[in-house]
Amino acid sequence: MSDFGKALEGLVVCDFSWVGAGPITTNVLGQCGAEIIKIESTKRPDILRRGGPFKDGISEGFERSGYFANRNPNKKCISLNMNLPQAREVAIRLIEKSDIVINNFRVGQMEKWNLGWEDIKKINPRIIFVTMSLQGTDGPHKSYMGFGVNLNALCGLTIQAGNPGEMPFGTGTNYTDHVMVPSHTLFGIMAALLQREKTGLGQTVAISQLESAIAMKPLDSMVYASNGKNLGPMGCSDLNAAPHGVYETLGYRKWLAIAVSTDDEWVRFKKVMENPSWAEDEKFATFSSRKENEDELNAYVEAWTKDKYATKLMKQLLAGGVKAGLVNDARAAVEDEDLIERNFWSYLDHPEVGLTLYNRVPIMFSETPCEMKTAAPLLGEHTDEVLTGFLGYTNEELAQLKAEDVLT
Amino acid sequence: MDGEQKNSPLSDVKVLDFTGELGPYAAKMYAGLGAEVIHLEPITGDPLRKKRPFYKEEEDNMEASLQFLYYNGNKKSLVVDLNKEEGKQIFLRLIESIDIFMESCVPGYLDSLGLSYERLKGINPKLVQTSITPYGSTGPYEDYPGSDLTCSAMGGFLYLAGVGNDKPVRACDNQAYRMAEAYASVGSSIALLHARRTGQGQFVDVSAMESVGMALENAAQYWDLEGVIRRGRGKEAGVGTIHPCKDGYIVVAATMGKNKIMWDMFAKWMKNENVEEWEVFEDPKWIDPSYRESEEGYATFCRIFQRFTIKYDKAVLYEKGQAHRVALTPLNNGKDLLENPQLKYRKFWQTIEHENLGGEITYPGAPYEFGEMEWRFGLPAPKFGEHTVQVLEELNYSKDDIEAFSKEGIIHV
Repeated sequence: MSDFGKALEGLVVCDFSWVGAGPITTNVLGQCGAEIIKIESTKRPDILRRGGPFKDGISEGFERSGYFANRNPNKKCISLNMNLPQAREVAIRLIEKSDIVINNFRVGQMEKWNLGWEDIKKINPRIIFVTMSLQGTDGPHKSYMGFGVNLNALCGLTIQAGNPGEMPFGTGTNYTDHVMVPSHTLFGIMAALLQREKTGLGQTVAISQLESAIAMKPLDSMVYASNGKNLGPMGCSDLNAAPHGVYETLGYRKWLAIAVSTDDEWVRFKKVMENPSWAEDEKFATFSSRKENEDELNAYVEAWTKDKYATKLMKQLLAGGVKAGLVNDARAAVEDEDLIERNFWSYLDHPEVGLTLYNRVPIMFSETPCEMKTAAPLLGEHTDEVLTGFLGYTNEELAQLKAEDVLT
Repeated sequence: MDGEQKNSPLSDVKVLDFTGELGPYAAKMYAGLGAEVIHLEPITGDPLRKKRPFYKEEEDNMEASLQFLYYNGNKKSLVVDLNKEEGKQIFLRLIESIDIFMESCVPGYLDSLGLSYERLKGINPKLVQTSITPYGSTGPYEDYPGSDLTCSAMGGFLYLAGVGNDKPVRACDNQAYRMAEAYASVGSSIALLHARRTGQGQFVDVSAMESVGMALENAAQYWDLEGVIRRGRGKEAGVGTIHPCKDGYIVVAATMGKNKIMWDMFAKWMKNENVEEWEVFEDPKWIDPSYRESEEGYATFCRIFQRFTIKYDKAVLYEKGQAHRVALTPLNNGKDLLENPQLKYRKFWQTIEHENLGGEITYPGAPYEFGEMEWRFGLPAPKFGEHTVQVLEELNYSKDDIEAFSKEGIIHV
């Protein structure tokens, strides 16, 4: 452990972001030691507070959503009714003491509050000002609307995720929100912080969610530009492997993923299967012939797997040097021995729903480990504490702001 | 560097990238912001060089793998055999000036060569070493061989890409690997800031299986809070459902939860288009998620909506839907993206001339824009060993040394 505390200790984030990619971004910063102050209001709560699942399936109120909770641990929440002009003064005091201001509103919302970059840099020139537009801040589609599922489709993920000859399916989630967009936002923030170490000045970091997503899935357009071909849906196959797929095993929705790429791996795979005669057919002798006869090959493999237990088979394959993995559902992932051993999951105590499940950031630092400290905040839980403590408001001023309905 | 341009924020950062199929996007993110990135390759070449797809389908050309060319753009290629003693010495001399060493070696491999993190830290205490592996560098699975598919499966992500008893389908471009790289890049930058401030380097361990765990949306909480195992979304009428159109498919998010305002805009659009049976969408039952999830709800939605969508191209539906503030988007393919007016307007695509391949390659461009800094694609990915001599010269090896190393097969120039 470091003598220097956590990696981002001392950083303060003024967090206007909500729903998906924004809160995931600040969740990472928070786990690394930054102080995240989330701005909400009962007039405009983070809408994910109303998204399932809910503790025991009871959806009343704002505090039972696990969807919201897992993106917001280790944060403080103040309620600030930004519709009132007095709220801006509170925001300004917070911005004066912050390092990062982040929002994922539609382009122009912060400017409506006179809290766009031009205003903010006058308040605090060291601020890193982060925006996360869907498709950039200029251009013919800059105001187009969409959710994660829309972005998945726009960026080219969805059309490739399906079985050949069937309707495309996609990832089944708002995938782009979870990794592609927050990780690029985080890297942009860190680059701006590294730059600030040298210049003493902040700057804008503008993410186009579409463009950052495409950066993590380049091949469809590269291939079309190079070879004039569109990459179609591929089931679970891979251009560089065969057999490669998920195969039925004993039990309800139990599949085993197997990936065989090189000739060496093929030889090892045959050995684990005890060298069946079909596998010696010329059709399967080389990588390109296996790829050509892939459907037939997959049928043989599945005939071998389907009357076996996935867990047992996985161990045999791994021991034989073949890449294999269970298709875990969420329960299996939560109960997975490796994820438990590496403390990927945490149970954090919450005043309304008790001990509930969170995951840490997938980064293990040897000297400045991430910390899961507190459960997601109640709406406005830290309003008094932040205003009178961190921002230096007197109790009288606090009472006045409350009377004016600013802190609801 | 580029004096007339905005700052290259990471121009004082030096990254050594010893990755292959898993890992290369992490260092590419640094290369895009001006860091010097040296891509260390084994004497047999980065295995990614042999992976499909290839430029003009030149399968036997180790300079033509599109994956290699994208993920290693603006890096230098240094080819050294770490199994040889002199090769290790070169590596150790290089480590002295490195800020971030990224590697995706099998856990224990570098230790077995005598190049453990402990040893490297002794040489360079500020060093950040980031290890990117399928299952992490510690823990019960550290020795398991893994692939993109198995990491995606084990982490619980793959299971979500399907409904009912259907087998799941896979996301493109090795997303389990990409997720690990994205978080490795972020973790390295956080450790680098810490090292700059304190002088203390550290070891950063990123597991692809764990990174996949970031993409479970709310599935783990569905299990924990409600005891429910969820699969993919996609069959709740109008909530991110996919529908065929004249030239492909579109996806529509006509509402979320109990959002009546959204739904009303959708219903109004259908009325304005005079779609047969549009009145059905005015029924308040559509605001109720349980109706939309029902078989009847889904089938009714598809029947009426698809009667309309099937008459138009996806680009037309996109414009029409957005004009009515309905979150409808096309399912773009590679060609659509190259022709996308928004991306064209923003000059997103980068076309780079590759002399050795006799043509141009088109690449994705900047994932972010900064007020005071600039992303750039930079130079094309290096040819095998293209910068070996340059890197060794910078390490003060003489011409004679370099020639001798080359002769003995310790390096490839």
